[in-house]
Amino acid sequence: MLGHENRTLRPFARYQGLLCAGIGCPGLVAASLSMAGCDKFFDLLRVSLRQVVRQRRRYAGVILAISLGTCGFILVLTVGQDVKHNLNRDLDLLGGSTRMRVNLEGDYTNRGLIPQPRWFREPTLDALRRIPGVRSISAVALKGSMAVATLKAGEQYFRLLGVDGAFWEVNSFIATSGGFFGEDEVHRRERVCVLGRQLAQQIFGTQDIAGRLLPIDGELYVIAGVLGGTGIAERADYAFIPLTTAQDRIRGLSLVDCVYVRCQTWDDVGPVAAAISKVMDTFQPSDRVRVDVAWEQLKRVQRIAWWMQTFIYLSIVATLVLGGMGIWNGMMAAVQARTREIGLKKAIGAEDRDILIQFLGEAWFLSFGSALLGIILGRGAVQLVSHILNSPPSEDLFVLSVALSIVLSMILGVGAGFTPSTIASRMEVVSALRYE
Amino acid sequence: MNDTGAARSPDEALVRVAGLTKEYRTGEAFVPVLRGVDLSVFHGEMVAIMGASGSGKSTLLFILGLFLAPTAGTYTVLGEDVLKLDRTTQAKIRRRFVGFVFQSCNLIENSTVYENLELPLIYADVKRRDRHAMIEDALARVNLSHRMHHPSNLLSGGEQQRVAVARALVNSPRLILADEPTGQLDRKHGQIVMDYFRHFVADRTTAMIIVTHDPEVASYCSKVYRLDDGAIVS
Repeated sequence: MLGHENRTLRPFARYQGLLCAGIGCPGLVAASLSMAGCDKFFDLLRVSLRQVVRQRRRYAGVILAISLGTCGFILVLTVGQDVKHNLNRDLDLLGGSTRMRVNLEGDYTNRGLIPQPRWFREPTLDALRRIPGVRSISAVALKGSMAVATLKAGEQYFRLLGVDGAFWEVNSFIATSGGFFGEDEVHRRERVCVLGRQLAQQIFGTQDIAGRLLPIDGELYVIAGVLGGTGIAERADYAFIPLTTAQDRIRGLSLVDCVYVRCQTWDDVGPVAAAISKVMDTFQPSDRVRVDVAWEQLKRVQRIAWWMQTFIYLSIVATLVLGGMGIWNGMMAAVQARTREIGLKKAIGAEDRDILIQFLGEAWFLSFGSALLGIILGRGAVQLVSHILNSPPSEDLFVLSVALSIVLSMILGVGAGFTPSTIASRMEVVSALRYE
Repeated sequence: MNDTGAARSPDEALVRVAGLTKEYRTGEAFVPVLRGVDLSVFHGEMVAIMGASGSGKSTLLFILGLFLAPTAGTYTVLGEDVLKLDRTTQAKIRRRFVGFVFQSCNLIENSTVYENLELPLIYADVKRRDRHAMIEDALARVNLSHRMHHPSNLLSGGEQQRVAVARALVNSPRLILADEPTGQLDRKHGQIVMDYFRHFVADRTTAMIIVTHDPEVASYCSKVYRLDDGAIVS
């Protein structure tokens, strides 16, 4: 019995001899045998590409799924950090989870119960600014006693804080009317002030007071604006003047013993808090420092962000997996629909591996082409989101994401197309030719 | 045994089968399809195999084309036992030695005439620069040069069959196997196709085996074998 299974493998040389010596087509055979298989491989890929292009409508859904997955992948990788910063800022308005307050504690050791004043030196502040993960810091000084505004209606007492130009940004404050003073006004030691909205309401009965004058401790100050926004509850009845002006003109003002630190993201809070202690040990080793962090709020924000991030990544993975399943399903359907074609190709001389290369090539081109489309869409999306966030995209990250997308698409195409291609390549010629 | 090539020694045969038997398994039973077929085909011969449906004609053709393995018997090409070759080597023989023409659905969909003819050349590792001339030559033989870049599915039935013939001839096979090659054609186009075959085989380096019901097709052949219930009866 001479079934396929019983045949012994014959050396190729013998087959070659059979062809060259007997069958009598030496030119063709010699030419064919002298060829490396390179041309053939690329020609088979060309045939695969042609099939994908000509049957693109059949694969439209798959192409769309993989393109969108790739686009999302590129978007998340390229502008994810910018989005995180913005999300961080927006979520922070609800709780200030990335802001921490650093206080110097008075020295009670040798003076009984009367603490000796302590303050942040300028080199210490510079070192705090340079801590990795710190976005900005703000130094403040509080007047120990109440400040007074003498008005026609009588005297109005309130808390007064000397702040620098970064104070507003560090605390995520916004002006409900007018504006804030900045570093320039602080540098020029100008007599300007900002009032908390509750204090403005108490004194003027309105918050629309920008440009008006207010006498504070006997000197007139121009009102720059009114402080609003979330998280100002404890500051709503405060008045704020430039730190330098306060140091020059306000009696009873404390030294700068309090600094607010704003971190880049919530992931930086822990390391920054630890680094602050080290900086203080280095620059002011004899001073005790207390770092107040809203750990509970931070945990909640991080949990929200984690869920969001997980959701986004799962969406991308799901899209890519669906795309992969689409390729698998599409290729299985194609193999079934083209069974006679496979039989015909084998009948005219295709080897198993030729069919494998062709179908695997189709799957790969499908995936790779979809990824290319996704890259174009991704670039557009990155530009759009960057425009919205007002932050230029990182070109390095974009290139990295493109490279990863291409690698992923190759893996996806080959992985999803392997089984259908193998099935196609192993088809028996007769049953394929007789397939209806 | 119905080898009518008695004038020549069987050892000179291009193709020779002896004692060829094929059984299909149906459940527990084995159904014999071919029963000890002996056959020799020489260069320059056109051989017809006729018989009723189910007589085993197509099975014999598939075995000759190395698509099917027989249950028993020998099959030699120029004295070499090709049944002992592995699957890959058989595919190589198929693409360089054998040309096939089927009754219908012969062409690859979504492809032009040129692309259909190029495929066997790609599989045979023929250099790209040589292909165009070979395709041109094959199409010229069937008077379809003007259709070279035409989508194959837009051709008429007769033209499609002629393209299939051209594809079978494109890599100059030594053996052409045809299964009802004119079955889908009208009389006129059938005659045209058979004339191509006769002309092609006339150079005496090629042989052709045609499976057919049609006595008119068989009349083109130098030998006619009749199969009945898996055995050659005349």
